[in-house]
Amino acid sequence: MRRVFITVLLWIVVAGRVEPLPQTTPLPVQTGSVKFAVIGDSGTGDRAQYEVGRQMESAHTRFPFELVIMLGDNMYGRQSPQDFVTKFEQPYKPLISAGVVFYASLGNHDNPSNRLYEGFHMGGERYYTFARRSVRFFVLDSNQMDPKQLDWVDGALKQSQDAWKICYFHHPIYSDGGRHGSDVQLRVVLEPLFVKYGVNVVFAGHDHVYERIKPQKGVAYFVAGSAGELRKGDIRPTAATAAYFDDDQAFMLVEIAGDDLFFEAVSRTGRAVDSGVIRRQPTPRSTGGL
Amino acid sequence: MRNHAMASRVLGGHHAHRRLTAGRVWHDVSGHLFDRFLLLPIGAGIALVWANTRPESYFTFAQKLAFPVNEIGMAFFFALITQEIVEAVMPGGALHSWRRWGLPIVAAAGGLAGSVSVYLVYVNVNYVTVLAPAWPIACAIDVAAAYYVLKTILPRSGALPFALVAGIVTDIVGVLVVAPRHLVLATHAAGAALMMVALALAGVMRASGVRSFWAYLSICGTVSWFAFYWVGLHPAFALVPIVPFLRHEPRRLDLFADPPDDDATHHFEHEWNALVQGILFLFGLVNAGVILRGYDAGTWAVLAAALVGRPVGMLAAIGIAVAAGLHLPRRLGWRELVVIALAMSSGFTFALFFATGVLATGPAQAEIKIGALATSVGALLAIGAARLLRIGSVR
Repeated sequence: MRRVFITVLLWIVVAGRVEPLPQTTPLPVQTGSVKFAVIGDSGTGDRAQYEVGRQMESAHTRFPFELVIMLGDNMYGRQSPQDFVTKFEQPYKPLISAGVVFYASLGNHDNPSNRLYEGFHMGGERYYTFARRSVRFFVLDSNQMDPKQLDWVDGALKQSQDAWKICYFHHPIYSDGGRHGSDVQLRVVLEPLFVKYGVNVVFAGHDHVYERIKPQKGVAYFVAGSAGELRKGDIRPTAATAAYFDDDQAFMLVEIAGDDLFFEAVSRTGRAVDSGVIRRQPTPRSTGGL
Repeated sequence: MRNHAMASRVLGGHHAHRRLTAGRVWHDVSGHLFDRFLLLPIGAGIALVWANTRPESYFTFAQKLAFPVNEIGMAFFFALITQEIVEAVMPGGALHSWRRWGLPIVAAAGGLAGSVSVYLVYVNVNYVTVLAPAWPIACAIDVAAAYYVLKTILPRSGALPFALVAGIVTDIVGVLVVAPRHLVLATHAAGAALMMVALALAGVMRASGVRSFWAYLSICGTVSWFAFYWVGLHPAFALVPIVPFLRHEPRRLDLFADPPDDDATHHFEHEWNALVQGILFLFGLVNAGVILRGYDAGTWAVLAAALVGRPVGMLAAIGIAVAAGLHLPRRLGWRELVVIALAMSSGFTFALFFATGVLATGPAQAEIKIGALATSVGALLAIGAARLLRIGSVR
């Protein structure tokens, strides 16, 4: 009897130290909704990236996302064919095998020729667009915002009649990351277009943290640059910070159903560190913050 | 000192004299700012403070002014540089003798090879190949900065013509790389034809004895600007082919000094110099504003290329040339050459211009620009080296 008691006691103590199991997702997981995951600054090829990959695989079983958007720095260091295996294909192998499609944007550590790599589905372009049902994604190359790209963004956003417009690229135009922070020069050229054409949500990486920014002029901004790299304790919260997580690696799960976008940020250990819902604003918007 | 004494004397006197003195002081101060090309660093300093305190208003301002300053205004700067070079290489000019060109050209080639190699090695070793297209920035030498540093340290040696030739040759290579851009028209033919019209007009005006710079500028310069723009060349270089048609006088010394306002030619150069100084102020204001925490691999690549690659490349090339039988210029030894090589490591104006020429707006350009600004430290290194090597006037 005493042995059973001690065993139970030990079990309770050990169980108390174990990381919590993945929480029940607040995501509605509706049929017909657009489901995707978000990773940024992922391509380190180290253990943390693989652990995030396993959490994504685990999440996929309860939340069958069909695509993953990559926010740049998809590959750090050497970028030989073998590196594409160890820094991309192996960490996400179960997802790729399950038919999940990855759509990449280019970061400052990515070789520009990586746009030709088939696994990134960039169609050989630095910037491109694709759609899933009512959602259109606009993928930009923020390393250089040349006039040709700006003209393209302007035209593509103007042409889009999709209910949801989501932009993603590497360098955040709003961020409270201590190392990089907001790229205001990019903001000056991009934000007017986002506001004018009613972009709903913008995802970026570069700062190796997770952060949700309070909506700016009607646009929601996320920084999700810690799916591989991590800069612990880097966030310097400001009045614009809505939520953040800079203790561990993280990725995001997003579901768009009707006029609602549900999101959840998940840590390397499977803990939901932020979640919420964004209601679609009428478009196109005029200026003015929320 | 004399001016200061005069100012003190008059300031202690009557109100009428005080007004005169204020004007005098302003004249002296502005003259100093103009003579030393100080309006550019002042503009750059304002831009840096502005960008790091009120970034949104700064970048909005800079974005609006970028085209008129970089694409139109800078045409006057490159025209002035061309004018200086043309007059320096004329019979009687400071750089006329081709014997003076041999070793500096070798030094320029070595400096180019060294700086570009270091830049490319750095970005490749650090796997930031997105910055590789910016290698022409490693070709940038701020000739005016090098000139004034060397004029301070080694005023009476052969350092000035040596540095001028090496700097000009290096920058010309950079300009040739940066100048080609995307074709605006469907064909090169229309732009090329327009260029021929501009040159023909300049030739006719020269033959007709037209002396007014502004006539050349407003007619031929405008046509040439559109020709450059349409044909896919950087329009900031549009006045370069027009300048040789202007009236020139050989320059013996003080290449970058504002000439005395004593005749029609010099009066026009005086006006031109003032205009260029204003443009350089705006150039610094529009382009030098970078958020300092935006530094990254590109910053270190530019610094390594300028402060290590170029001096080492220059000195190595000179060493090889001397071993092959070329002679060092009179009154220049290896210690002086070390100081010259360091003085030429500043890229500042040209590096900023090349950065805007080869990279579009964005974080990559910003980190490169921080490196370009930081190369100014080369001037301090040169002064420090002169003290250490116990040469020149700063011992």
